[in-house]
Amino acid sequence: MNRFQPGVRRHLNPTRLLSAIAALVVLAACGGSTPTTGGLGSGPLLVGVLAPFSGADASFGPRYLAGCYAAALSINGAGGVGGRQVSCQEFDTRGEPADAVPAANAMISGNSNLMGVVGCTSDEASTVVPILDRSHIPMTCMTGQSEFNKTNFTYFHRLVPPDSFDAYAMIGSALFGPGHAPYKNIALVFGDDIGSQTFVGPAVAALNKLGVNIAINQAIHLGASSYRTEVQKMLLTHPDVILTETIGSAGTYLGEVKQLNGGKMIPFIGTSATIDPVWFKQVVTAIGLTDFEANYTAVDLALSLSGPGYDEFVTQLTAADAKYSGSQALTYKGKSPTVHLYDGIILDALAMVAANSSDPTVYNPKIFTIANGVPGATVVNTFADGVAALKAGKSIRYVGAAGENNFNQWNNSQQGYNLVTMDKNGNEVVIGQLTQAQTQQIIDAGGNA
Amino acid sequence: MNSYYAATLAVYAGVDIIACIALNLQFGVSGIVNFSFIVFQAAGAYTAAVLSMPPDSAYGGYQTYIGGLQLPFPIPWIGGAIVGGLLAIPVGLVVLRKLRPDYQAISLLVLSVIANSLITNARTFLNGAAGIAQVPGPFSNQVDPLAQSYQLLYVGLTLPCVLLVWAVASRIVNSPFGRSLRAMREHEVAATAIGKNPVQLKMTVFIVGGVIAGLSGAILVGYIAVWAPSVWLYPETIILFAAVIVGGRGNNVGAILGALLVPVGFEEATRMIPPTIGGWVPPPNLIPAMQWVAIGLLIIGFLWFRPEGVRPEPRRVFEGAPVREDSERVLKS
Amino acid sequence: MELYVAALGFGLISASVIAIAAVGFTMQFGITNMINLAYGEVMMVSGYAAFYVNQAGVNIWVAMIAGALAGAALSFVLNRFLYTPFQRKGTNLIGMVIISLAASLMIANLMLPLVGYDTSSYVIDQGQLLRWNGLVLTVAQIAIIVVAAILMLAVHGMLRYTRLGKAMRATAANPTLARNCGIPTQRVISVVWLITGALCGVAGVVAGMDSENFSVASGAGYLITIIAAAVLGGAGQPYGAMIGALIIGLVTELSAAAIAPEYKQVVAFAILVLVMVLRPQGMLAKRGALAAAG
Repeated sequence: MNRFQPGVRRHLNPTRLLSAIAALVVLAACGGSTPTTGGLGSGPLLVGVLAPFSGADASFGPRYLAGCYAAALSINGAGGVGGRQVSCQEFDTRGEPADAVPAANAMISGNSNLMGVVGCTSDEASTVVPILDRSHIPMTCMTGQSEFNKTNFTYFHRLVPPDSFDAYAMIGSALFGPGHAPYKNIALVFGDDIGSQTFVGPAVAALNKLGVNIAINQAIHLGASSYRTEVQKMLLTHPDVILTETIGSAGTYLGEVKQLNGGKMIPFIGTSATIDPVWFKQVVTAIGLTDFEANYTAVDLALSLSGPGYDEFVTQLTAADAKYSGSQALTYKGKSPTVHLYDGIILDALAMVAANSSDPTVYNPKIFTIANGVPGATVVNTFADGVAALKAGKSIRYVGAAGENNFNQWNNSQQGYNLVTMDKNGNEVVIGQLTQAQTQQIIDAGGNA
Repeated sequence: MNSYYAATLAVYAGVDIIACIALNLQFGVSGIVNFSFIVFQAAGAYTAAVLSMPPDSAYGGYQTYIGGLQLPFPIPWIGGAIVGGLLAIPVGLVVLRKLRPDYQAISLLVLSVIANSLITNARTFLNGAAGIAQVPGPFSNQVDPLAQSYQLLYVGLTLPCVLLVWAVASRIVNSPFGRSLRAMREHEVAATAIGKNPVQLKMTVFIVGGVIAGLSGAILVGYIAVWAPSVWLYPETIILFAAVIVGGRGNNVGAILGALLVPVGFEEATRMIPPTIGGWVPPPNLIPAMQWVAIGLLIIGFLWFRPEGVRPEPRRVFEGAPVREDSERVLKS
Repeated sequence: MELYVAALGFGLISASVIAIAAVGFTMQFGITNMINLAYGEVMMVSGYAAFYVNQAGVNIWVAMIAGALAGAALSFVLNRFLYTPFQRKGTNLIGMVIISLAASLMIANLMLPLVGYDTSSYVIDQGQLLRWNGLVLTVAQIAIIVVAAILMLAVHGMLRYTRLGKAMRATAANPTLARNCGIPTQRVISVVWLITGALCGVAGVVAGMDSENFSVASGAGYLITIIAAAVLGGAGQPYGAMIGALIIGLVTELSAAAIAPEYKQVVAFAILVLVMVLRPQGMLAKRGALAAAG
């Protein structure tokens, strides 16, 4: 006979427990309202900034948010979208896909007035892009992943080049750049993170096909406190040039290169992401301004960072900096993502006005048309100008803060590449260009994966 | 009302409940501080991914990984669970010997960091830092994964798994095996003296926990369609530990409550914090940072005020056992 | 071959940085029985304290004192107001580990809004690059090695020859017996936290000098390596920590020279795992890691 009996034990009724859970879930998910039909509708509009605001890439979110603030101020200052005021809200993906899914779903569930989304970096794009696309939300994404080079997601837009193209442009700079003979011995130094991985594969493929010698292909662990042995190893292969990105560790690595090479710096070519005040500061602190100026080049989309579109952006960014005191918006005025995402939001807004609809299935195709323009389109540089031209019955092409955009059939915006450097204040300076033929040669070698 | 978000919460709740039950078996019932827990969930997820994905030349070949066997449901989920258990064997053999508990904990923590670093750098194995994307979920060929009906289907697949795991764990906890585990947790030397083999007991529960953890990973990866090293950094294990502690160790209901309160409730509730608080817009990174501070306070607070958790482990009393007046344990039940 | 000699030199620097930190960490464990997982964060905070002093124009070697003071203060406060109350309450070893983890989470995330996410750098003159028989080191790096050596000798001297040191060793061996012999264990423990906190602070500053940039995220990175070194040498054994630091530092850099450098951290930790399998108590401890009786 079993004398063992459980002591005081309350049995939790599973059914009750599950009903309670279900109730909680239902409560949490509520927040929708009816969609508008035809016309621009009424009430405030929201742009979601879906990006990392915590975790390893926490510095990304604020720079995208700043671009959104500037765009919102520009739009609202011109009367809003059909009178509807635009505001921005951050939705933290925590920099990883598993947290990004509830963030995206919570954002959509809780806000029926989303006019567009910006952000979606390579940390989370693979999971959130399908979610946003199925909810018909136009997005301007920052991810450089090759999987989006030929995407079928019609609401996906990318104004920055895929990482593979950056890699090709860097090779182009090494082979065809101004001021030096073609480099023969190339060192690849990239981090082991997602953002860097997407450069190396295409770069290696292209270099091998073109018959250029890869001195060393080195992956370093970003954020480590020193790379002296790695640097020494690299130096022993005697490269002519180093192709690199290594966000966050560039100062450490390049500083040690200079140190261990007896004070002599090796030329280095950076990706478009290195054209960034923080990268500039880190590397200049490590190797000094003179060596930086003499040895650094980078590649970038033909980004102008000047002109009436950019001026409007800077004006609004300054206003945003004052209005949202914690945002430090003005520090991002030279940052490519901030500028590009600003343009993305202006495009969304102009598309809504042009289509005279708040229904994304109607205005999403207009984004393409307004960015690329049709023959005879009036060029406009600000939201206000665009609205005025549309009112006068004209078709428009928005050439914004980052300059022209040219979407291809997969909503990837491509144009030629500039070879650039940064002046003593960290401002971008164009020093050359790759021709179409040169770019094509490298793309053909590396493959448009 | 948005059914997608509701479904997301339901699936995540299911996954977290399963994970917390597993961790509770290892930590709550048996006293093994498995600071590498998340690695087992990751192993299950990667296994399910490479079993269900097409070969890595698919979609233009932008990722490289082993496997790619395109097997249908439920093989990937079963495979994930099995691999989670298999992984527990070498890890257990290395760590679960006569090491004192805090040493075990530290070695497991370091193993977790090593594993993450290895997978990140061995790019051809599981596609490195980028991880594996476009993982097909169960029945994704028959039902459009982006449709609402798929969400319902997925919740319908997750729920039986939760119930199954709960049933199995309850059987374990209330069985003689469970009693042995608790005895070992409370006083290992005494348990050894009456003939229990702690190393064997620990290995068994480690493997069982690994199997369940692997299953939770398989379920999650089928839903979010992506798995990368960033998803399983070692702080994720800490969240689950907080859940088990807050909910109440040693009992499955406590584990369930903990899973609902911490990874689901707490992490999701903080998404609801309004962007402006009375007109003041906080700096962009402030609220996310404060969330982590709050989690830390939650752990410390619970350990101070209610170390037994929301739902304490029920004290089991033998009928007819002598009641000692100074026995606080009896009084507490 | 030249690469390996150079790597040896680099390993020495790494070892120096790790050693200062690991000795402090292991003493906290040995004497107060506390695996302080907030140690890395305290290093990071001290690094920032020195940074702000350095920004105000003070030479970094002098600002190091500010770092040491910050480390001592923060460690003392942590122990006095967080760890001791829980230990008095009877919280078990694992509970204490979890609490220190929670503390590290909080410290890091409280620092973030204060100092931001970007990296910072000290203003430091590295000095000339010296070459000798394949070794390649700057003057500043040699200075770091010297500082580490001095601190190791100081710790050794304190433990061996001072009354405080003897009291520490007694408390580590058996606190109850020490108390019965009239040693004010509570006060000894407070002093231990102050001293190890200062070591932690110096380690934080030196790590920042060594790596040229650091950020809030650096804290977690330091911790794992320090734990590895401490456990390798035998937890609670200061001399073990020094040896463990040397091994980890040298092996890390030599393996980076020999094989693909992205695995160098993994190799170091694999050594740790190997030691745990073969000699779980670490190299010097007699019993350390083994299951305590009761």
